[in-house]
Amino acid sequence: MIEVKNVTKKYGSFTAVDNISFTVKDGEVIGFLGPNGAGKSTTMNMITGFIEPSEGTIMINGNDISKKAKKAKRQIGYMPENVPLYSELTVKEFVKYMTELKRMPRKQRKEDIEKVLKETGLEEVQNKLIRNLSRGYKQRVSLAGALVGNPEVLILDEPTVGLDPKQIIEIRNLIKELGKNHTVILSTHILPEVSQICERVIIINKGKIVAIDTPEHLEEKTKEENVLLLTVEDKEEHMGNIKEKLPKLKEIKMIKDNEDGTKQYMITSNADVDLRKDLFDILPKQNITIFELKKAEATLEDAFIRLINAKEEIEKASESIQNKKQDKEEKKKEKEAKKQEKKKQKEENKKERGEK
Amino acid sequence: MWTIAKKELKTYFLSPIGYIFIGIFLLMCSIFFYLDVVQYGSTNFEYMFYSAATVLTFIVPILTMRMFAEERKTGTEQLLFTSPRSITSIVCGKLLGAAMIILITEAFTAIYYIILTCFGTPHITTALITLLGYFLLAMTYISFGMFASSLTENQIIAGVITIAFFIVTWFMPNFIEATLDFSFINVFSNTFPTGSVTLSSLVLLISTPILFTILTILVLQRKKSVK
Repeated sequence: MIEVKNVTKKYGSFTAVDNISFTVKDGEVIGFLGPNGAGKSTTMNMITGFIEPSEGTIMINGNDISKKAKKAKRQIGYMPENVPLYSELTVKEFVKYMTELKRMPRKQRKEDIEKVLKETGLEEVQNKLIRNLSRGYKQRVSLAGALVGNPEVLILDEPTVGLDPKQIIEIRNLIKELGKNHTVILSTHILPEVSQICERVIIINKGKIVAIDTPEHLEEKTKEENVLLLTVEDKEEHMGNIKEKLPKLKEIKMIKDNEDGTKQYMITSNADVDLRKDLFDILPKQNITIFELKKAEATLEDAFIRLINAKEEIEKASESIQNKKQDKEEKKKEKEAKKQEKKKQKEENKKERGEK
Repeated sequence: MWTIAKKELKTYFLSPIGYIFIGIFLLMCSIFFYLDVVQYGSTNFEYMFYSAATVLTFIVPILTMRMFAEERKTGTEQLLFTSPRSITSIVCGKLLGAAMIILITEAFTAIYYIILTCFGTPHITTALITLLGYFLLAMTYISFGMFASSLTENQIIAGVITIAFFIVTWFMPNFIEATLDFSFINVFSNTFPTGSVTLSSLVLLISTPILFTILTILVLQRKKSVK
């Protein structure tokens, strides 16, 4: 079990991770999701004890990562971002070195090396220099390094970046397999990956947790609106009047103007309203021919973008309100200053006249 | 600690660094052996170490500049520092790896000693004391080189800082007499090759490596919370 409590990481005045807390249960596969620079890698580096949080505690199976570092680190297998490897070693030498680094008992080492090489499909290249391997294989070597010593917790930082589609599927399947008897935290910015592998998702943006939920729940949340995609042939251009005829319709937007004279529209309505029947009724009466009508599926992608944008919009809004307040105050001050200047000028003028 | 020392030693010989270090050392030693010993018809093995000590200034950075700088640059320090090993044992392991290279190099100098035994009877105790002193001097330099390497991720910068420090401590007494006792090369040449060991020289050449090893550990621990 991993417990992250009120963890903050600051670099000078910049806050990379801002007071985040979450727990990962034993045997759970959790996905870390967020745009670049959101603080995913920083959080993972803190969980593995590579960097120390400015505030907060991280417990790995009850061991504090900064106080009982050795015990905690022994239970973690870490695959860092950008797969750092000792390129002058062969695959087998590297895995052997990792078993030694992780303080495995001498007797178990040989067995474990063979097991790990087999699991990651590296047996064929085990005597090749890591330098000469392709990116996909390097990724596997890095994963093999994390798996050494059968740690309970696996932390994988972007495990599928830079792989070809076939390799991605292989690695995903491997992670799924590992998820059966390991606790896994993986970060990614590929959304389908999360819904395929992970039981829960943590969405993080600008160092703050935006949502923690199952992928299914997040998808459902975005279903607050019904979105239809409609392709029509509209020779008499009656589509503009449609909104008047359908009061329940919330918004209609043209998204594509096809070359064959058809146009595609996106129609949104509230979740409890299904406009499909009405559209089929009304459009033919306006001499509009329906070519295609389909319901747009809610995806995790939508959820992700909405959650992140929502936050940003709120922030922008509050910023602009503050800015406006500031502007008003400044204007007031300027006005007052001008008034005073005018008064002074008047008084001076009066004095001058008096003198004359 | 042994794990890391073993890996370090292996890396030195997987890359050309180990060979370059030993090669340059032996090449220079052979020249000095001819100039300082053979030409005088002397059997004093230790004479060549007066000059050999200056060679350390230029070859120790080859060993030390990559120690932490390279790991930081390639990111492998993430593997090292997330393993269940303390920073102290990592630093000591790296130091030990470099110390082993020095011992290997010193073992090679036995060749010169053997050559001398063919022509006379060189003094074995003086030779051994000189080798001990040379080892301590090398460790002093290596510990500083390691410290410099822990400061940056650029190997060249680490190397330049190291050479600059060595040259300063080498020539400093020429300008400021008070620093005479802190010039590592002078302290070495004034005592060990004469077959005598003074307490002050031992203290200097043992405490300095310890000081820089501790400084390296502190730097790396600090990096953990700043990084």
